Parts: sequence; C-alpha cells; structure tokens
Amino acid sequence: MAVYTERKAGSAWADFIGEHAQVLSIAMFFLLCMTIFGLSSSTFLTTGNLLNVLRQAAPILIVAVAMTLVITTAGIDLSVGSQVALVNAVCAIAIGAGLPWPVVVLLMLALGAGVGAVQGWFISYQGIPAFIVTLAGLSILRGFALYLTEGYSIPITNVPGFFWLGRGTLAGFPVPALIALLIAALGFVVMLRTQYGRQVIAVGSNMEAARRVGMPAKRVLASVYVVAGLASAVAGMLIAARLGSGSSNAAQGFELQVIAAVVLGGTSLMGGKASMLGTVLGTMTIAVIGNGLILLHISPFFTQIVTGAIILIAIWLNTKLFDRGLRIGKART
Amino acid sequence: MQPVPSAVARGDHPPAILSLCGITKTFGSHQALRGVDLDVRAGECLGLIGDNAAGKSTLSKVMSGTYVPDGGQILLDGQPVRFTTPSEARAQKIEMVYQDLSLCDHVDVVGNLFLGRELKRGPFLDQPRMLAEAERMLAALEIRIPRLTAKVEKLSGGQRQAIAIARAASFDPKVLIMDEPTSALAVAEVEAVLALINRVKARGVAVVLVTHRMQDLFRVCDRIAVMYEGTKVAERRTEDTNLQELVDLIVGKGGH
Repeated sequence: MAVYTERKAGSAWADFIGEHAQVLSIAMFFLLCMTIFGLSSSTFLTTGNLLNVLRQAAPILIVAVAMTLVITTAGIDLSVGSQVALVNAVCAIAIGAGLPWPVVVLLMLALGAGVGAVQGWFISYQGIPAFIVTLAGLSILRGFALYLTEGYSIPITNVPGFFWLGRGTLAGFPVPALIALLIAALGFVVMLRTQYGRQVIAVGSNMEAARRVGMPAKRVLASVYVVAGLASAVAGMLIAARLGSGSSNAAQGFELQVIAAVVLGGTSLMGGKASMLGTVLGTMTIAVIGNGLILLHISPFFTQIVTGAIILIAIWLNTKLFDRGLRIGKART
Repeated sequence: MQPVPSAVARGDHPPAILSLCGITKTFGSHQALRGVDLDVRAGECLGLIGDNAAGKSTLSKVMSGTYVPDGGQILLDGQPVRFTTPSEARAQKIEMVYQDLSLCDHVDVVGNLFLGRELKRGPFLDQPRMLAEAERMLAALEIRIPRLTAKVEKLSGGQRQAIAIARAASFDPKVLIMDEPTSALAVAEVEAVLALINRVKARGVAVVLVTHRMQDLFRVCDRIAVMYEGTKVAERRTEDTNLQELVDLIVGKGGH
C-alpha cells in the first residue's frame, strides 16, 4: 500500500505540470512582459497606468471569458466584434430616444442574447459550421450597425449613471475593470464547479458521448453563443459608456484580439480543454504589450506587428511544451 | 481463469430477462437482420459472434435502443417493450458499452463516471461526494485506478475500458451489452477486462459480449450465438463446442 501511495503522489505531480503547462508558461510570459516594460519605462508600473490598462482591457476580458466557453465546445464566434458595434450603436440610439438607461441596459442584454440564440440555433440545430455562421454574423451585424447609424458616431449626453459604468471608480478601482473581474471570476466558477461547465467541456470533448449519457448536448452547444452574445452586449455598453458615444465602427478587429487572448491562455481550438485563468492572463498579456509599446514611444502601427508576432511565438512555444507533456503521458502508460 | 459458474452452468435454466423474437431490420436494400430469436438470461454471459456485416452489431444496437427494429418483438421480463432511444433502453435497465467507450478525454475519472448525472450541492458540483461514490463504484468491481482526479486521456486502454464498464454497471442494469471490449487492448489488459466481465456477471447481470476474439469467448461466456448474414445460425453452450466448430459456423460451413 505504501508503494501505491508513493506512485500516486508522483504521477499527480507530473499530471499537474502536464495539465497546467500552458497556464504556467503564459503566466511566466506575462511576468516577463511586466518586468521588461517595468524596467524600460518609469510610468508603466505606476498605479494610474496599471488601472488604465485594466480599464481598457475590460471589454476584451469580458468577451474572452465567454469565448472560452465557445472555443471549449470546439466552436468559434467571429461575430463578437460586430455584436459589440451593434450594441454600442443601438444603445446610443436608444438612450438618445429618451429611454431610461437601466431599461436600455436590459434591452441590450436581450439583444445580445437574441443575436447569440439565432447564431446558436444555426450552429447547433442546423449543423452549419460555427465559422460560417459567425462569419456571416460578422458581416450582417456590422452592416446593421452601419445602416442604423449611417456611419455617424452618435453622442450620448447627460446620463451620469450610465457613464459611471464606463468611467467611474469604486474604492479607487475602475468600474469596468471590476465588472470584468467579476465576470471572469464567475466564468472560472461556472467552468470548474457547475454542471453547466461540465456539460460545455463534455460537449467539446466528445459530443456523441455527451448525447448518449443524456446531456442536452444541442442546447448546451447553442447556449454558449447566447453567453457570447450577452458578454458582447456588456462589452458594447461599457465601451459606449467610456467614450460617451455609440458608433458602428467600434471594436474593429475586436474578435481577433479576443480569440488570440483565449488561445494564448491555453484553451484548445480542438475543444474540451479550457483554462479560464489562462484566458485572464492571455488578455492581460495582450493589453500590457499594447500599453507598454505605446509608453516606449514605439509607433502604434508597430504594435500590431509585435502583438501578432508574440501570439505566434507564444503559441508555438506552448505547443512544444504541451507536446512534450503528451509524450511523457504516453510513455508512462 | 474459468467462467464463474452461473445458474446455467449449474444446470437450471433461469427465465430469459430479455427475449428477441423474429427481429428484422433493413437498411435501404440491405437486410441486416432476417428474423433473429435470442434469449438473454440473468447471471449469464452470452457471446455474440459472426463475421463483419453478419448483423451482430446491428442486433446489439437493437437491444440497446440505438436502432428500432422493422419487425419482431422484444420482451423484457416477459413484457413486450419498444425502445426508440438509448435512454429509453437505459430506463428499462439495459446498458451498452460502446466500442468507442463514450468517454470524455478532457474530464477526470470521477466526472466520466458521473457524466450526465452529476451530483450537486446547491448550484455547484458536489466533488467530494462524487469522489467517494466513484471510489465505491470502482471498489465494488475491484477496479484499481491510481488517481480518480486524473484526466481520462492519461489512462491506459484497459483502464479506460474498465471505467466505461464500471459506469454502465453503476446504473444497476439487468442487461449489459459490450461491443468489442477487448479488441484494442494489450494482453495483460485483456485479462483484467475479462475478469471484470466475470465479476459483473457474478452480480446477476445478463452480459452480452459482442466480439471478434474467439479466445475470449471460452473465458467468460456460458452460451455463444453465431450470426451469419443476418440470421442466427447456431447457438451453443460453451462447454459443448470448440474453436474449430465456431470458426466453421462463422464462415458459413456448418450448422445449417
């Protein structure tokens, strides 16, 4: 029995490293970025700048949490940027039309959920690949936003309660960052500790098995797009509240930043393997790189190149680490 | 390892739990089953063999509710029943272990054992209780897995098979159908799985073993039914037959 226990401990340690290799590597990479920018810029590590990074990263983080669920089911949602733009524009129009802002918030959440439900229905119940459905969504939804605003930016005036969501602070902490962290914590708990999270992982890991054991597999698959729609609505409103306007041109390239953050965090595009903590670290890494390069007075055009290159290199390194983990696993059995 | 002496081996015939009478099933122009009769008895292992496309897989899927037969009758404890989905068959205590095992690789052992029927405490998963129950479930079948919180993808083929069987057995089935449980395993793992089948049988479960591996039949089965081109061409008590006879029956050289 003693021998048995010893082996148990040994393999547990190896499994821990193997399972968390990607989160550990992105955590190290994040700390490396913090150190480099901290050493090369005197303003980077100031409280004001760090809170600013958090405030700017909030919309990406919120949608990345939802995108983690989507990618865990081996799906993808390319339309989140357009959903953010649509909500951003419609929300400004609705407030401009005189609706009280709390009503607008609820309406926008319903709009996001509705858009997500339509996309989820096509993907789950009609069997059209998520890539196709959400690519169509990307075009259609931004088209709607452009059509409604005719391309103009719509100002939002005189709604301090709404502005507080995007600009306010609570105990010195930016409100959008607090909302984002709350949603990330919620996502963490849902993924690891609830039946819904388990269903999402099971559907992504083995759809047929999930169906055979009696899980509502199709409903679960459709639901992650509703979650993505809700998260996009929240992000769209936070952006509108921060900028004080709604525009169909908001959140250009947003979906790619979100997907990059999730994948950088170690969630597998093949489904089944998710890391909420990795998503948070991935989002913050991308945000920190963007902020740090600006503080170093590097051309903002260069930022895109660096961000893309870092994503490619980080995931390449991750794949190497992860592959080695798999080989150890196979050799042991 | 000999088959555990069952009611059949002791000479008395328990009534059939599950009886198939004149089952037919057609896929397009191909008649997969042409009127099959089969009895499955408690505490007995029935081997279902035959060449590829002989109909053994189709027959097992009719029993488990995956396919609805075109004709014929299924009797469960003497009562006619009709399954249109696997979950209806499960509700009637008929379980199937699929060849692909239906496990989620990215979920741990405990999670797989409770897949689709997670225990909850409030809104959250009750991990401690599921872990304790899973330990009990596996201990009842003497299955040893070093760490139940390891992901299933880390386990060997035999351990994965054992988990799939333990999950099916935990539904307390009357009939347990296994599709090729030993076909992809290493030698030592085959031994472990066969021993496991004998333990399930000893609990009074009627086991149906669909297999290509002739040597396994003599280790665990009490009766062997041979399928050939959609019909059951022979049924033998294990002690009354031998490998050569079974091979001849499978290739259609005898028994008609």
